[in-house]
Amino acid sequence: MSASKRRYVIIGGGAAGMAATTAIREQDRLGSIVVISEEQDMPYFRPMIPFLISGKKAEADMALAGRGPYQAEGIHIRTGVRVIRVEPEAHQVYVTGGEKVPYDKLLIASGSLPNIPADIKGVEAEGVFALRTLDDARKAALRAKKGGHVIMLGGGMLNLKTAFSLLERGLDVSLVVHSPQVLSQLMEPEDAALIRKALDMAGLKILTGCNAERIISDKDGVTSVALTNGMEIPCRMVFIGKGVLPNVDFLSNGPVHIDHGVVVNQYTATNVPDIHAAGDVAATFDPATGKMIVAGLWTNAVEMGRCAGNNMAGNVTRYGGAFGIQNATQVADVPFVSMGVVHTKGNDFETHTAESYGSYRRLVFSPDGTRLAGAVFVRDISRAGLYRFLIREAMDIGRIKAQIIDHKLHYGHFVCSPLAKGG
Amino acid sequence: MPGPREIFVRIDRCMGCHSCELACAVEHSKNKSLYNAISEHPQPKKRIYVERADTQACVPVLCRHCEEAPCMHACICGAISRNKEGVVLTDSGKCIGCWTCVMVCPYGVIGRHLETHKSYRCDRCPDRDIPACVDACPTHALIYHTVEDFSQGVRKDTARQMTAGQGG
Repeated sequence: MSASKRRYVIIGGGAAGMAATTAIREQDRLGSIVVISEEQDMPYFRPMIPFLISGKKAEADMALAGRGPYQAEGIHIRTGVRVIRVEPEAHQVYVTGGEKVPYDKLLIASGSLPNIPADIKGVEAEGVFALRTLDDARKAALRAKKGGHVIMLGGGMLNLKTAFSLLERGLDVSLVVHSPQVLSQLMEPEDAALIRKALDMAGLKILTGCNAERIISDKDGVTSVALTNGMEIPCRMVFIGKGVLPNVDFLSNGPVHIDHGVVVNQYTATNVPDIHAAGDVAATFDPATGKMIVAGLWTNAVEMGRCAGNNMAGNVTRYGGAFGIQNATQVADVPFVSMGVVHTKGNDFETHTAESYGSYRRLVFSPDGTRLAGAVFVRDISRAGLYRFLIREAMDIGRIKAQIIDHKLHYGHFVCSPLAKGG
Repeated sequence: MPGPREIFVRIDRCMGCHSCELACAVEHSKNKSLYNAISEHPQPKKRIYVERADTQACVPVLCRHCEEAPCMHACICGAISRNKEGVVLTDSGKCIGCWTCVMVCPYGVIGRHLETHKSYRCDRCPDRDIPACVDACPTHALIYHTVEDFSQGVRKDTARQMTAGQGG
């Protein structure tokens, strides 16, 4: 290979893309790194955008460069530029304005787009948001100043966080959830009961078991939402939080293999030479379930982006997979962690639940009881990382099972315990 | 050139007296005296945990400031970074209390301060030459060495044991 500088091109300035740039720079001091981002803003910590609505954080607090691990130098970020197509034979990407950007190694980290269900009518009205970008949050914050009632469609993490940001601003917020309980993706209904109680106490109105049918608006924007249960609720804003879909449209008709997301192997490589993919756009596997997934989540995207960056720079690194479920947060003063296999209805996983002093936990073991497959901790989330490690490594838990069930596991058990001797 | 010093744990020497925990909490109090620390708010917190694995063994567990630190990369607001000495630090001003770091730390050594809604961990006592836990350990189960010095010590100990075993 020639001694000339390697040209790295990253599509997307989100978690995966930026984590890749840091990893590349650690391996390759000389190569040129260009990030092509469709957004007008410089890269930022996307999970923080609900705080812009509450006013708890300013835009400047969310900037990525120079914070945490993002200290790498010599990274050229081109904002407001969209990739139209990738031309692998010529090793270049064709971007808006007709320019061609050449690459030696390309990373597809174009992230995801909000899923807007086709069966909800009137979503184009002013005041309807699907919070994804800093700019979305900026617009939402502006509209929130006018006050009024807000309807959130979907009971996932994004909507709960956003709902609290709006509550903090003194707005009236109702959550409309199709499932019988909030956070249905992340836990079983009984796991969410404590959280639900806290949400009710915090003043969030929750309507379960129904959907939005139609968003009604006039010249000033949204006026109300008609629900499938026949109710029509007046409101000034609507937030759609129904998950995300991989942003792959620019790759259609190209050679890169797509199956829902961009398909990659265990080394984050696509089927096309010199093209890798990472983050929300990539289809990968879940070590907890062994199934193919499009993962989402900042934590997954960073891990995969770092792995891809290493592989692109020649430091061959195997990707350990993405957890479909691995969430930690705190809503309404109730912290919780949910990871791995948490839905156990109708299958033969061994589960142990316990509730005491306002905290709750569920430990899910493989059907033969030898491996930890998932865990939900509500309120007492201490040392959750140890449990995540056990899930991820699919370790034989042998004689420490009792400690796991009792949530008494600590690192000492790994160092000088029956596990080390017996396992 | 020797690397930076780190806190090493010699498990066989730990007798579970918890002196390190106390010294750590006091060091992380406002005026660094035990008597005042007790009544301080927010309550000063220890960042080292002496765990009992079975009836015999005690294991002091503390942040390893991992080379590939999962907490630093997982943090969703850029509050965790590494300084020049290799110490991984949480900037509590930036921490939003989402507990992602708690979820990914494989050692379980990141604490949650419920009063301040911030996470905390070992900062290797930036104001001291020797970290408080190491200073307080009566049996030298905790030592503050470079990797090179520590491994040399292990080699010497082993050599001594082997020659003693030969009846010398």
